[in-house]
Amino acid sequence: MKRSSPIAAVLAFLGYVVMIVPILFVVATAFTGGSSLTFPPEGLSLRWFEAALAYEPFTQALLSSLQLALISTVLALAVGIPATLAVMRGKVPGKSLVEGLFLSPLILPELVVGLALYQQFMLHLDMDNFNALLIGHTAILLPYTVRVTGASLALADPALEDASRGLGASPLRTFWSVTLPVLRPGIISAALLSFVTSFNNVPISLLLQSRDFRTLPVTMLDYVQQNYTPIVAAMSTLLLAGTVALAFAAERTLGFARIFGGINR
Amino acid sequence: MIRSRRIALVLLLPGLVLLLGGVVIPALTMLLSPPRVPTGEVFDRLGRMLSDPYDLAIIWRTLRIGLTVTGLCLTLGFPTAYLLARSRSRWAGVLLALAIFPLLLSNVVRTYGWLVVLGRNGVVGQTIEGLGLADPAPQLLYTEIAVVLGLTQLFLPLAIITCYSAVAQVDANLDEAARGLGAGRIRTLWSVTIPLSMPGIAMAATLVFAGAVTAYTTPYLLGGSRQTMLATQLFRYSGVSLDWAAASATAIIMTVLVLVVYGVSTVLTRAKAVTR
Repeated sequence: MKRSSPIAAVLAFLGYVVMIVPILFVVATAFTGGSSLTFPPEGLSLRWFEAALAYEPFTQALLSSLQLALISTVLALAVGIPATLAVMRGKVPGKSLVEGLFLSPLILPELVVGLALYQQFMLHLDMDNFNALLIGHTAILLPYTVRVTGASLALADPALEDASRGLGASPLRTFWSVTLPVLRPGIISAALLSFVTSFNNVPISLLLQSRDFRTLPVTMLDYVQQNYTPIVAAMSTLLLAGTVALAFAAERTLGFARIFGGINR
Repeated sequence: MIRSRRIALVLLLPGLVLLLGGVVIPALTMLLSPPRVPTGEVFDRLGRMLSDPYDLAIIWRTLRIGLTVTGLCLTLGFPTAYLLARSRSRWAGVLLALAIFPLLLSNVVRTYGWLVVLGRNGVVGQTIEGLGLADPAPQLLYTEIAVVLGLTQLFLPLAIITCYSAVAQVDANLDEAARGLGAGRIRTLWSVTIPLSMPGIAMAATLVFAGAVTAYTTPYLLGGSRQTMLATQLFRYSGVSLDWAAASATAIIMTVLVLVVYGVSTVLTRAKAVTR
Protein backbone atom coordinates (compact mmCIF):
# COMPACT_ATOMS: atom_id res chain seq x y z
CA MET A 1 0.00 0.00 0.00
CA LYS A 2 1.73 3.13 -1.13
CA ARG A 3 1.38 6.15 1.14
CA SER A 4 -2.22 5.33 2.02
CA SER A 5 -3.98 8.06 3.91
CA PRO A 6 -3.72 7.54 7.69
CA ILE A 7 -7.40 8.34 8.37
CA ALA A 8 -8.59 5.68 5.93
CA ALA A 9 -6.18 3.15 7.45
CA VAL A 10 -7.45 3.88 10.98
CA LEU A 11 -11.10 3.50 9.88
CA ALA A 12 -10.29 0.25 8.07
CA PHE A 13 -8.49 -1.06 11.15
CA LEU A 14 -11.52 -0.21 13.33
CA GLY A 15 -13.73 -2.00 10.82
CA TYR A 16 -11.67 -5.19 11.10
CA VAL A 17 -11.73 -4.95 14.90
CA VAL A 18 -15.55 -4.75 14.91
CA MET A 19 -15.86 -7.61 12.38
CA ILE A 20 -13.33 -10.06 13.75
CA VAL A 21 -12.62 -9.48 17.46
CA PRO A 22 -16.01 -10.66 18.82
CA ILE A 23 -15.56 -13.91 16.87
CA LEU A 24 -12.11 -14.41 18.43
CA PHE A 25 -13.62 -13.98 21.88
CA VAL A 26 -16.16 -16.72 21.10
CA VAL A 27 -13.31 -19.11 20.24
CA ALA A 28 -11.31 -18.14 23.32
CA THR A 29 -14.24 -18.69 25.70
CA ALA A 30 -15.01 -22.07 24.16
CA PHE A 31 -11.79 -23.41 25.70
CA THR A 32 -12.53 -22.25 29.23
CA GLY A 33 -12.44 -24.67 32.14
CA GLY A 34 -14.92 -22.57 34.11
CA SER A 35 -18.67 -22.73 33.85
CA SER A 36 -19.65 -19.23 32.79
CA LEU A 37 -18.95 -16.79 30.00
CA THR A 38 -16.05 -15.08 31.74
CA PHE A 39 -13.06 -13.47 30.21
CA PRO A 40 -10.20 -14.23 30.60
CA PRO A 41 -11.18 -17.94 30.58
CA GLU A 42 -10.67 -19.86 33.83
CA GLY A 43 -8.10 -22.44 32.78
CA LEU A 44 -7.98 -24.45 29.60
CA SER A 45 -10.22 -27.39 28.87
CA LEU A 46 -12.12 -29.13 26.12
CA ARG A 47 -15.09 -29.94 28.38
CA TRP A 48 -17.49 -27.58 26.58
CA PHE A 49 -16.73 -29.17 23.22
CA GLU A 50 -17.56 -32.55 24.73
CA ALA A 51 -20.69 -31.08 26.25
CA ALA A 52 -21.78 -29.54 22.94
CA LEU A 53 -21.29 -32.79 21.04
CA ALA A 54 -23.10 -34.76 23.72
CA TYR A 55 -26.02 -32.33 23.93
CA GLU A 56 -28.71 -34.05 21.92
CA PRO A 57 -30.81 -30.99 20.91
CA PHE A 58 -27.67 -29.57 19.21
CA THR A 59 -26.61 -32.74 17.41
CA GLN A 60 -30.18 -33.45 16.35
CA ALA A 61 -30.60 -29.89 15.06
CA LEU A 62 -27.23 -30.02 13.30
CA LEU A 63 -28.39 -33.05 11.32
CA SER A 64 -31.72 -31.37 10.59
CA SER A 65 -30.01 -28.20 9.36
CA LEU A 66 -27.61 -30.13 7.14
CA GLN A 67 -30.48 -32.13 5.67
CA LEU A 68 -32.63 -29.06 5.06
CA ALA A 69 -29.77 -27.05 3.55
CA LEU A 70 -28.75 -29.88 1.25
CA ILE A 71 -32.24 -30.60 -0.08
CA SER A 72 -33.23 -26.95 -0.50
CA THR A 73 -29.95 -26.20 -2.30
CA VAL A 74 -30.54 -29.05 -4.77
CA LEU A 75 -34.15 -27.93 -5.28
CA ALA A 76 -33.16 -24.28 -5.77
CA LEU A 77 -30.62 -25.29 -8.41
CA ALA A 78 -33.07 -27.64 -10.12
CA VAL A 79 -35.68 -24.90 -10.31
CA GLY A 80 -33.36 -21.94 -10.73
CA ILE A 81 -31.03 -23.07 -13.53
CA PRO A 82 -33.82 -23.76 -16.07
CA ALA A 83 -35.42 -20.43 -15.10
CA THR A 84 -32.13 -18.59 -15.62
CA LEU A 85 -31.76 -20.19 -19.07
CA ALA A 86 -35.30 -19.20 -19.99
CA VAL A 87 -34.89 -15.59 -18.84
CA MET A 88 -31.49 -15.06 -20.43
CA ARG A 89 -31.69 -17.16 -23.58
CA GLY A 90 -35.38 -17.25 -24.37
CA LYS A 91 -38.08 -14.85 -25.47
CA VAL A 92 -40.16 -14.52 -22.35
CA PRO A 93 -43.19 -12.24 -22.27
CA GLY A 94 -42.98 -9.69 -19.42
CA LYS A 95 -39.30 -10.37 -18.90
CA SER A 96 -38.62 -7.63 -16.33
CA LEU A 97 -41.70 -8.67 -14.35
CA VAL A 98 -40.44 -12.26 -14.27
CA GLU A 99 -36.99 -11.13 -13.21
CA GLY A 100 -38.53 -8.98 -10.48
CA LEU A 101 -40.53 -11.95 -9.26
CA PHE A 102 -37.40 -14.10 -9.06
CA LEU A 103 -35.64 -11.46 -6.96
CA SER A 104 -38.67 -10.77 -4.74
CA PRO A 105 -37.58 -13.09 -1.88
CA LEU A 106 -34.44 -10.99 -1.58
CA ILE A 107 -36.38 -7.78 -1.07
CA LEU A 108 -39.27 -8.98 1.10
CA PRO A 109 -38.18 -9.15 4.80
CA GLU A 110 -37.45 -12.80 5.63
CA LEU A 111 -39.43 -12.70 8.85
CA VAL A 112 -42.46 -11.63 6.78
CA VAL A 113 -41.92 -14.61 4.45
CA GLY A 114 -41.58 -16.93 7.45
CA LEU A 115 -44.76 -15.63 9.04
CA ALA A 116 -46.66 -15.91 5.74
CA LEU A 117 -45.56 -19.53 5.29
CA TYR A 118 -46.50 -20.36 8.86
CA GLN A 119 -49.99 -18.92 8.49
CA GLN A 120 -50.77 -20.26 5.03
CA PHE A 121 -49.08 -23.64 5.02
CA MET A 122 -48.94 -24.79 8.61
CA LEU A 123 -52.07 -23.19 10.07
CA HIS A 124 -54.28 -23.08 7.01
CA LEU A 125 -53.25 -26.13 4.97
CA ASP A 126 -52.03 -28.18 7.94
CA MET A 127 -48.70 -28.90 6.23
CA ASP A 128 -45.94 -30.41 8.36
CA ASN A 129 -43.11 -28.09 9.30
CA PHE A 130 -40.39 -29.81 7.25
CA ASN A 131 -42.24 -29.23 3.97
CA ALA A 132 -43.08 -25.65 4.90
CA LEU A 133 -39.41 -25.06 5.76
CA LEU A 134 -38.36 -26.61 2.47
CA ILE A 135 -40.65 -24.31 0.46
CA GLY A 136 -39.44 -21.24 2.37
CA HIS A 137 -35.74 -22.08 2.16
CA THR A 138 -35.90 -23.02 -1.54
CA ALA A 139 -37.74 -19.77 -2.31
CA ILE A 140 -35.21 -17.52 -0.56
CA LEU A 141 -32.32 -19.39 -2.24
CA LEU A 142 -33.74 -18.91 -5.75
CA PRO A 143 -32.50 -15.32 -6.17
CA TYR A 144 -28.92 -16.47 -5.43
CA THR A 145 -29.12 -19.25 -8.01
CA VAL A 146 -30.62 -17.00 -10.65
CA ARG A 147 -28.15 -14.16 -10.05
CA VAL A 148 -24.97 -16.19 -9.70
CA THR A 149 -25.61 -18.64 -12.54
CA GLY A 150 -27.00 -15.71 -14.56
CA ALA A 151 -23.72 -13.82 -14.11
CA SER A 152 -21.90 -16.93 -15.31
CA LEU A 153 -24.23 -17.34 -18.30
CA ALA A 154 -23.81 -13.69 -19.26
CA LEU A 155 -20.12 -14.39 -19.82
CA ALA A 156 -20.88 -17.28 -22.17
CA ASP A 157 -21.08 -16.54 -25.87
CA PRO A 158 -24.52 -17.58 -27.22
CA ALA A 159 -22.82 -18.16 -30.58
CA LEU A 160 -21.28 -21.33 -29.10
CA GLU A 161 -24.73 -22.74 -28.44
CA ASP A 162 -25.93 -21.69 -31.88
CA ALA A 163 -22.90 -23.38 -33.43
CA SER A 164 -23.63 -26.60 -31.54
CA ARG A 165 -27.25 -26.52 -32.69
CA GLY A 166 -26.14 -25.71 -36.24
CA LEU A 167 -23.88 -28.77 -36.23
CA GLY A 168 -26.89 -30.91 -35.50
CA ALA A 169 -26.85 -31.33 -31.71
CA SER A 170 -30.23 -31.53 -29.98
CA PRO A 171 -31.13 -28.76 -27.48
CA LEU A 172 -30.57 -31.19 -24.60
CA ARG A 173 -27.21 -32.31 -26.01
CA THR A 174 -26.21 -28.66 -26.46
CA PHE A 175 -27.14 -27.95 -22.85
CA TRP A 176 -25.12 -30.90 -21.52
CA SER A 177 -22.01 -30.47 -23.62
CA VAL A 178 -21.85 -26.72 -24.22
CA THR A 179 -23.90 -24.64 -21.79
CA LEU A 180 -23.41 -26.67 -18.60
CA PRO A 181 -19.58 -26.71 -18.66
CA VAL A 182 -19.60 -22.90 -19.07
CA LEU A 183 -22.01 -22.58 -16.17
CA ARG A 184 -20.13 -24.92 -13.84
CA PRO A 185 -18.26 -22.28 -11.78
CA GLY A 186 -21.50 -20.31 -11.40
CA ILE A 187 -23.36 -23.42 -10.32
CA ILE A 188 -20.71 -24.31 -7.73
CA SER A 189 -20.79 -20.75 -6.36
CA ALA A 190 -24.58 -20.75 -6.26
CA ALA A 191 -24.63 -24.12 -4.51
CA LEU A 192 -22.13 -22.97 -1.88
CA LEU A 193 -23.91 -19.69 -1.20
CA SER A 194 -27.29 -21.42 -1.08
CA PHE A 195 -26.10 -24.11 1.30
CA VAL A 196 -24.56 -21.58 3.69
CA THR A 197 -27.59 -19.26 3.48
CA SER A 198 -30.04 -22.04 4.26
CA PHE A 199 -27.89 -23.56 6.99
CA ASN A 200 -27.55 -20.22 8.79
CA ASN A 201 -31.07 -18.93 8.29
CA VAL A 202 -32.97 -17.79 11.36
CA PRO A 203 -35.97 -15.64 10.32
CA ILE A 204 -37.64 -18.19 8.03
CA SER A 205 -36.99 -21.09 10.37
CA LEU A 206 -38.02 -19.26 13.55
CA LEU A 207 -41.78 -19.60 13.20
CA LEU A 208 -41.72 -22.86 11.27
CA GLN A 209 -39.94 -24.93 13.92
CA SER A 210 -41.54 -27.87 15.63
CA ARG A 211 -40.47 -30.25 18.36
CA ASP A 212 -39.52 -32.93 15.83
CA PHE A 213 -37.62 -30.82 13.35
CA ARG A 214 -35.68 -27.76 14.50
CA THR A 215 -32.71 -26.09 12.84
CA LEU A 216 -29.42 -25.47 14.62
CA PRO A 217 -29.30 -21.64 14.60
CA VAL A 218 -32.79 -21.41 16.11
CA THR A 219 -31.95 -24.05 18.72
CA MET A 220 -28.77 -22.18 19.67
CA LEU A 221 -30.66 -18.90 19.84
CA ASP A 222 -33.23 -20.38 22.23
CA TYR A 223 -30.48 -21.93 24.33
CA VAL A 224 -28.57 -18.65 24.69
CA GLN A 225 -31.67 -16.90 25.98
CA GLN A 226 -32.10 -19.44 28.80
CA ASN A 227 -28.55 -20.34 29.78
CA TYR A 228 -25.30 -18.56 30.28
CA THR A 229 -22.83 -21.44 29.79
CA PRO A 230 -19.98 -21.64 27.25
CA ILE A 231 -21.62 -24.61 25.48
CA VAL A 232 -22.86 -22.29 22.72
CA ALA A 233 -19.34 -20.85 22.40
CA ALA A 234 -18.07 -24.39 21.83
CA MET A 235 -20.79 -25.17 19.29
CA SER A 236 -20.06 -21.85 17.55
CA THR A 237 -16.36 -22.68 17.41
CA LEU A 238 -17.13 -26.06 15.83
CA LEU A 239 -19.30 -24.31 13.23
CA LEU A 240 -16.53 -21.78 12.68
CA ALA A 241 -14.02 -24.59 12.05
CA GLY A 242 -16.41 -26.22 9.58
CA THR A 243 -16.94 -22.91 7.79
CA VAL A 244 -13.19 -22.27 7.58
CA ALA A 245 -12.73 -25.69 5.97
CA LEU A 246 -15.54 -24.98 3.51
CA ALA A 247 -14.18 -21.50 2.73
CA PHE A 248 -10.71 -22.92 2.19
CA ALA A 249 -12.01 -25.52 -0.25
CA ALA A 250 -14.04 -22.85 -2.04
CA GLU A 251 -11.10 -20.47 -2.26
CA ARG A 252 -8.99 -23.28 -3.72
CA THR A 253 -11.51 -24.26 -6.39
CA LEU A 254 -12.99 -20.91 -7.42
CA GLY A 255 -11.72 -17.99 -5.39
CA PHE A 256 -13.79 -15.85 -3.04
CA ALA A 257 -14.05 -12.88 -5.38
CA ARG A 258 -15.61 -15.08 -8.06
CA ILE A 259 -18.12 -16.62 -5.68
CA PHE A 260 -19.25 -13.31 -4.24
CA GLY A 261 -19.01 -11.41 -7.51
CA GLY A 262 -22.44 -12.59 -8.59
CA ILE A 263 -24.56 -11.49 -5.64
CA ASN A 264 -24.02 -7.80 -5.81
CA ARG A 265 -25.09 -6.92 -9.26
CA MET B 1 -30.98 -19.47 -27.89
CA ILE B 2 -34.28 -20.94 -26.82
CA ARG B 3 -36.49 -20.24 -29.81
CA SER B 4 -39.74 -21.73 -28.65
CA ARG B 5 -41.78 -19.63 -26.27
CA ARG B 6 -43.39 -22.81 -24.99
CA ILE B 7 -40.08 -24.35 -23.93
CA ALA B 8 -39.09 -21.11 -22.19
CA LEU B 9 -42.35 -21.14 -20.23
CA VAL B 10 -41.89 -24.79 -19.27
CA LEU B 11 -38.41 -23.98 -17.95
CA LEU B 12 -39.81 -21.06 -15.97
CA LEU B 13 -42.90 -22.79 -14.64
CA PRO B 14 -41.52 -24.51 -11.49
CA GLY B 15 -39.90 -21.26 -10.36
CA LEU B 16 -43.01 -19.22 -11.06
CA VAL B 17 -45.21 -21.65 -9.13
CA LEU B 18 -42.79 -21.74 -6.19
CA LEU B 19 -42.45 -17.96 -5.97
CA LEU B 20 -46.10 -17.08 -6.53
CA GLY B 21 -47.48 -19.93 -4.42
CA GLY B 22 -44.73 -20.04 -1.81
CA VAL B 23 -43.93 -16.37 -1.28
CA VAL B 24 -45.98 -13.74 -3.09
CA ILE B 25 -49.53 -15.00 -2.55
CA PRO B 26 -49.00 -16.13 1.08
CA ALA B 27 -47.29 -12.82 1.87
CA LEU B 28 -50.05 -10.73 0.29
CA THR B 29 -52.73 -12.77 2.05
CA MET B 30 -50.97 -12.38 5.37
CA LEU B 31 -50.45 -8.66 4.94
CA LEU B 32 -53.99 -7.88 3.74
CA SER B 33 -56.27 -10.41 5.42
CA PRO B 34 -54.63 -13.03 7.63
CA PRO B 35 -56.69 -16.11 8.57
CA ARG B 36 -58.97 -15.82 11.61
CA VAL B 37 -58.89 -12.03 11.51
CA PRO B 38 -61.97 -9.99 10.48
CA THR B 39 -61.60 -8.05 7.22
CA GLY B 40 -60.25 -4.55 7.73
CA GLU B 41 -58.85 -5.34 11.20
CA VAL B 42 -55.24 -5.23 9.93
CA PHE B 43 -55.66 -1.69 8.68
CA ASP B 44 -57.44 -0.61 11.86
CA ARG B 45 -54.46 -1.92 13.81
CA LEU B 46 -52.05 -0.22 11.45
CA GLY B 47 -53.84 3.10 12.01
CA ARG B 48 -53.78 2.67 15.77
CA MET B 49 -50.09 1.72 15.72
CA LEU B 50 -49.17 4.81 13.77
CA SER B 51 -50.78 6.99 16.44
CA ASP B 52 -49.71 5.03 19.54
CA PRO B 53 -46.63 6.42 21.32
CA TYR B 54 -45.37 2.94 22.29
CA ASP B 55 -45.49 1.60 18.72
CA LEU B 56 -44.16 4.85 17.29
CA ALA B 57 -41.19 4.57 19.65
CA ILE B 58 -40.42 1.13 18.21
CA ILE B 59 -40.66 2.41 14.64
CA TRP B 60 -38.48 5.39 15.48
CA ARG B 61 -35.90 3.20 17.26
CA THR B 62 -35.79 0.85 14.26
CA LEU B 63 -35.25 3.78 11.87
CA ARG B 64 -32.66 5.41 14.13
CA ILE B 65 -30.68 2.17 14.55
CA GLY B 66 -30.97 1.45 10.82
CA LEU B 67 -29.60 4.87 9.89
CA THR B 68 -26.80 4.75 12.48
CA VAL B 69 -25.70 1.30 11.34
CA THR B 70 -25.80 2.40 7.68
CA GLY B 71 -23.69 5.47 8.52
CA LEU B 72 -21.17 3.42 10.48
CA CYS B 73 -20.94 0.70 7.82
CA LEU B 74 -20.23 3.28 5.11
CA THR B 75 -17.77 5.23 7.28
CA LEU B 76 -15.79 2.08 8.09
CA GLY B 77 -16.55 0.11 4.94
CA PHE B 78 -15.78 2.58 2.17
CA PRO B 79 -12.22 3.41 3.35
CA THR B 80 -11.55 -0.33 3.78
CA ALA B 81 -12.89 -1.07 0.30
CA TYR B 82 -10.92 1.86 -1.14
CA LEU B 83 -7.63 0.72 0.40
CA LEU B 84 -8.23 -2.90 -0.64
CA ALA B 85 -9.18 -1.98 -4.21
CA ARG B 86 -6.27 0.40 -4.71
CA SER B 87 -3.61 -1.65 -2.93
CA ARG B 88 -1.09 -3.69 -4.85
CA SER B 89 0.05 -5.53 -1.73
CA ARG B 90 -0.15 -9.31 -1.53
CA TRP B 91 -1.96 -8.86 1.76
CA ALA B 92 -4.92 -7.15 0.09
CA GLY B 93 -6.27 -10.51 -1.08
CA VAL B 94 -5.99 -12.01 2.39
CA LEU B 95 -7.64 -8.96 3.97
CA LEU B 96 -10.46 -9.05 1.41
CA ALA B 97 -11.06 -12.74 2.13
CA LEU B 98 -11.03 -11.93 5.86
CA ALA B 99 -13.71 -9.29 5.28
CA ILE B 100 -15.87 -11.64 3.21
CA PHE B 101 -15.45 -14.71 5.42
CA PRO B 102 -17.89 -13.59 8.19
CA LEU B 103 -20.69 -13.69 5.60
CA LEU B 104 -20.37 -17.48 5.61
CA LEU B 105 -20.86 -17.58 9.36
CA SER B 106 -24.21 -17.71 11.15
CA ASN B 107 -25.58 -14.45 12.56
CA VAL B 108 -26.05 -16.30 15.83
CA VAL B 109 -22.33 -17.13 16.03
CA ARG B 110 -21.26 -13.61 15.06
CA THR B 111 -23.67 -11.89 17.43
CA TYR B 112 -22.89 -14.27 20.28
CA GLY B 113 -19.38 -12.80 20.50
CA TRP B 114 -20.80 -9.54 21.84
CA LEU B 115 -22.28 -11.39 24.81
CA VAL B 116 -18.71 -12.35 25.71
CA VAL B 117 -17.41 -8.84 25.06
CA LEU B 118 -20.23 -6.81 26.59
CA GLY B 119 -21.78 -9.31 29.03
CA ARG B 120 -21.89 -9.35 32.83
CA ASN B 121 -18.34 -10.67 33.20
CA GLY B 122 -17.30 -9.49 29.77
CA VAL B 123 -14.00 -7.97 28.71
CA VAL B 124 -15.20 -4.39 28.43
CA GLY B 125 -16.92 -4.39 31.80
CA GLN B 126 -13.90 -5.98 33.52
CA THR B 127 -11.58 -3.45 31.93
CA ILE B 128 -13.73 -0.55 33.09
CA GLU B 129 -13.79 -1.95 36.64
CA GLY B 130 -10.09 -2.82 36.51
CA LEU B 131 -9.16 0.71 35.54
CA GLY B 132 -11.35 2.01 38.35
CA LEU B 133 -13.47 4.05 35.94
CA ALA B 134 -16.73 2.76 37.36
CA ASP B 135 -17.61 0.05 39.87
CA PRO B 136 -19.74 -1.82 39.02
CA ALA B 137 -19.32 -1.30 35.29
CA PRO B 138 -22.39 0.19 33.59
CA GLN B 139 -24.85 -2.13 31.88
CA LEU B 140 -23.60 -2.54 28.30
CA LEU B 141 -25.73 -5.41 27.09
CA TYR B 142 -29.39 -4.75 26.21
CA THR B 143 -28.63 -1.17 25.22
CA GLU B 144 -29.05 0.53 21.88
CA ILE B 145 -25.26 0.77 21.59
CA ALA B 146 -24.97 -3.02 21.84
CA VAL B 147 -27.54 -3.49 19.05
CA VAL B 148 -25.80 -0.90 16.86
CA LEU B 149 -22.41 -2.59 17.37
CA GLY B 150 -23.83 -6.04 16.64
CA LEU B 151 -25.58 -4.92 13.46
CA THR B 152 -22.51 -3.01 12.28
CA GLN B 153 -20.43 -6.16 12.67
CA LEU B 154 -23.08 -8.11 10.76
CA PHE B 155 -23.40 -5.78 7.77
CA LEU B 156 -19.90 -4.36 7.42
CA PRO B 157 -18.73 -7.22 5.14
CA LEU B 158 -21.65 -6.51 2.82
CA ALA B 159 -20.76 -2.80 2.73
CA ILE B 160 -17.11 -3.61 2.07
CA ILE B 161 -17.63 -6.00 -0.86
CA THR B 162 -20.27 -3.78 -2.46
CA CYS B 163 -18.07 -0.67 -2.20
CA TYR B 164 -15.06 -2.75 -3.26
CA SER B 165 -16.62 -3.75 -6.59
CA ALA B 166 -17.68 -0.11 -7.11
CA VAL B 167 -14.19 1.31 -6.46
CA ALA B 168 -12.53 -1.45 -8.49
CA GLN B 169 -14.63 -0.40 -11.49
CA VAL B 170 -13.34 3.18 -11.31
CA ASP B 171 -10.23 3.39 -13.48
CA ALA B 172 -7.23 4.01 -11.23
CA ASN B 173 -5.74 6.12 -14.03
CA LEU B 174 -8.44 8.73 -13.36
CA ASP B 175 -7.09 9.07 -9.79
CA GLU B 176 -3.59 9.43 -11.18
CA ALA B 177 -4.78 12.03 -13.72
CA ALA B 178 -6.45 14.12 -11.01
CA ARG B 179 -3.32 13.89 -8.87
CA GLY B 180 -1.18 14.79 -11.87
CA LEU B 181 -3.32 17.88 -12.47
CA GLY B 182 -2.51 19.02 -8.95
CA ALA B 183 -5.46 17.78 -6.89
CA GLY B 184 -4.56 16.59 -3.39
CA ARG B 185 -5.37 13.14 -2.10
CA ILE B 186 -8.59 14.23 -0.36
CA ARG B 187 -9.68 16.39 -3.30
CA THR B 188 -9.17 13.47 -5.70
CA LEU B 189 -11.21 11.19 -3.46
CA TRP B 190 -14.05 13.72 -3.11
CA SER B 191 -14.26 14.93 -6.69
CA VAL B 192 -13.30 11.82 -8.64
CA THR B 193 -13.37 8.48 -6.85
CA ILE B 194 -16.43 8.91 -4.62
CA PRO B 195 -18.73 10.43 -7.29
CA LEU B 196 -17.77 7.71 -9.77
CA SER B 197 -18.40 4.91 -7.28
CA MET B 198 -21.67 6.48 -6.06
CA PRO B 199 -24.02 3.81 -7.51
CA GLY B 200 -22.11 1.16 -5.55
CA ILE B 201 -22.10 3.25 -2.38
CA ALA B 202 -25.87 3.82 -2.74
CA MET B 203 -26.34 0.06 -3.23
CA ALA B 204 -24.28 -0.65 -0.11
CA ALA B 205 -26.35 1.83 1.90
CA THR B 206 -29.59 0.28 0.66
CA LEU B 207 -28.54 -3.29 1.44
CA VAL B 208 -27.28 -2.38 4.92
CA PHE B 209 -30.31 -0.28 5.83
CA ALA B 210 -32.80 -2.88 4.56
CA GLY B 211 -30.91 -5.61 6.41
CA ALA B 212 -30.62 -3.65 9.64
CA VAL B 213 -34.30 -2.63 9.90
CA THR B 214 -35.45 -6.23 9.32
CA ALA B 215 -32.79 -8.08 11.34
CA TYR B 216 -34.08 -10.35 14.08
CA THR B 217 -31.21 -12.26 15.71
CA THR B 218 -29.12 -9.28 16.82
CA PRO B 219 -31.82 -7.13 18.45
CA TYR B 220 -33.17 -10.31 20.07
CA LEU B 221 -29.81 -11.29 21.61
CA LEU B 222 -28.26 -7.88 22.29
CA GLY B 223 -31.32 -5.68 22.74
CA GLY B 224 -33.38 -8.02 24.89
CA SER B 225 -36.84 -6.84 25.82
CA ARG B 226 -35.71 -3.26 26.36
CA GLN B 227 -34.59 -2.44 22.82
CA THR B 228 -37.53 -3.80 20.85
CA MET B 229 -37.27 -3.29 17.10
CA LEU B 230 -39.89 -4.01 14.43
CA ALA B 231 -38.64 -7.57 13.80
CA THR B 232 -38.55 -8.59 17.47
CA GLN B 233 -41.97 -7.01 17.96
CA LEU B 234 -43.31 -8.89 14.92
CA PHE B 235 -42.11 -12.17 16.39
CA ARG B 236 -43.64 -11.32 19.77
CA TYR B 237 -47.07 -10.70 18.17
CA SER B 238 -46.96 -13.81 16.01
CA GLY B 239 -44.95 -16.33 18.02
CA VAL B 240 -45.94 -15.38 21.58
CA SER B 241 -49.23 -13.49 21.80
CA LEU B 242 -50.73 -14.88 18.53
CA ASP B 243 -52.14 -11.46 17.67
CA TRP B 244 -52.31 -11.93 13.89
CA ALA B 245 -53.72 -8.49 13.10
CA ALA B 246 -50.93 -6.74 14.99
CA ALA B 247 -48.31 -9.04 13.43
CA SER B 248 -49.59 -8.25 9.94
CA ALA B 249 -49.69 -4.51 10.65
CA THR B 250 -46.08 -4.63 11.89
CA ALA B 251 -45.10 -6.68 8.82
CA ILE B 252 -46.71 -4.03 6.59
CA ILE B 253 -44.69 -1.25 8.25
CA MET B 254 -41.48 -3.26 7.84
CA THR B 255 -42.20 -4.19 4.22
CA VAL B 256 -43.14 -0.62 3.25
CA LEU B 257 -39.94 0.71 4.87
CA VAL B 258 -37.80 -1.69 2.86
CA LEU B 259 -39.67 -1.12 -0.42
CA VAL B 260 -39.38 2.65 -0.02
CA VAL B 261 -35.61 2.39 0.47
CA TYR B 262 -35.20 0.14 -2.58
CA GLY B 263 -37.46 2.45 -4.61
CA VAL B 264 -35.59 5.63 -3.63
CA SER B 265 -32.23 4.03 -4.33
CA THR B 266 -33.36 2.76 -7.75
CA VAL B 267 -34.73 6.19 -8.73
CA LEU B 268 -31.62 7.99 -7.48
CA THR B 269 -29.12 5.73 -9.28
CA ARG B 270 -31.21 5.89 -12.48
CA ALA B 271 -31.41 9.69 -12.33
CA LYS B 272 -27.66 9.74 -11.81
CA ALA B 273 -27.10 7.53 -14.87
CA VAL B 274 -29.29 9.83 -17.01
CA THR B 275 -27.59 13.08 -15.98
CA ARG B 276 -24.14 11.73 -16.63
